[in-house]
Amino acid sequence: MPVAVATAETDGRLIERVGRGDRDAFDQLYKRFARPVLAMAVRQLGDNGRAEDAAQETFAAVWRSARSYKAERGSGSAWLYAVARHAIIDRARQRREQAAEIPEEASADATPAERAEQSWLTWRVHSALEQLPERERVVIELAYWSGLSQTEIASYLDVPLGTVKTRTRTGLARLAGLLEEVRE
Amino acid sequence: MTDPDFRDLVGGDLPPEEIARLERVDRLLRATPAPPAQVPASLTDAVARIGTERRVWTPRRVAFAFAVAAVLAAVFFGVGRWTDTGGSHYRFAVPLEATASAPQASGEIKVGDRDPKSGNWELQLNVAGLPKLSGGDYYVLWLAKNGKYAGTCGTFNVGSGTTTVDMTVSYRLKNYDAWVVSRHEGGAPWLLSARVS
Repeated sequence: MPVAVATAETDGRLIERVGRGDRDAFDQLYKRFARPVLAMAVRQLGDNGRAEDAAQETFAAVWRSARSYKAERGSGSAWLYAVARHAIIDRARQRREQAAEIPEEASADATPAERAEQSWLTWRVHSALEQLPERERVVIELAYWSGLSQTEIASYLDVPLGTVKTRTRTGLARLAGLLEEVRE
Repeated sequence: MTDPDFRDLVGGDLPPEEIARLERVDRLLRATPAPPAQVPASLTDAVARIGTERRVWTPRRVAFAFAVAAVLAAVFFGVGRWTDTGGSHYRFAVPLEATASAPQASGEIKVGDRDPKSGNWELQLNVAGLPKLSGGDYYVLWLAKNGKYAGTCGTFNVGSGTTTVDMTVSYRLKNYDAWVVSRHEGGAPWLLSARVS
């Protein structure tokens, strides 16, 4: 059975609140996007320290310019993606590197258009993961990126195997709802 | 690293349409590089400070803000323009513009008659969007001249929504060129008018 996606406040609504100086909305936005922003920065800058600087600049720019966000021009996630990409490219330019189109790890041989598409896809998946309950996000990340089997995840988290399977399936179903509009 | 087996992840007891739905997510996840394991505390700490730093208002910047206000007065309002106050007993109203210290704030000062015996002007200050202060902190309404705070008109605090404060001042308004709301005495301008009357 499909799992209903939690009715969390939309990204766009949070950005609008940030535009009115709402600190709580800014904190929520940070929790939701800190890892996607950092992941994109690490992939494109290839250096954790500079990636952290770029992520910090991204959120500073969000705080400064959230008032310019117009919901009718696109989703909040797309707006934040553009802000992050701009901050990352700026950071790369400061070091006089060819940073604007540093290849993504996952598609080193792709064309610039394909790389941009891959970057956007990664952003959407990472952002959707952040909206899962922690218990579901953890089992999915362990399953897809740690190489652990379901039994090993159960042992690692010290929970029954059935719990791991339930959380995985529920998390995947929730992700399906969050990523419905993403093109493969 | 071994890729997870899809059937092992979701089991075999789901209807075909749900299997198809989850397979699509499975493909997206397999095509996506891993996110960072965690966000460094140093980043979280740095982001937590965003927006909390007090803007440093040097005397030069304060003077510049006043200069901008004076130019606006000359261009848009002129001197001595009387404003419709909606039929109240106040003679005119002056809008207060937000500064970078409080971009969401707004305000207005209504000026009533001058008492011929005492020479005091009756004022009503209406402000909204200023942050509520704590720990004994307060706002000050000033009359300013040439980019400097020249005369205090009173102190106040704010609640939620619009705060209305009635005051009287004894100054000759024509001797000043702006109304200013600041935090404490001598702090940065939070609200600023382009004219006094």
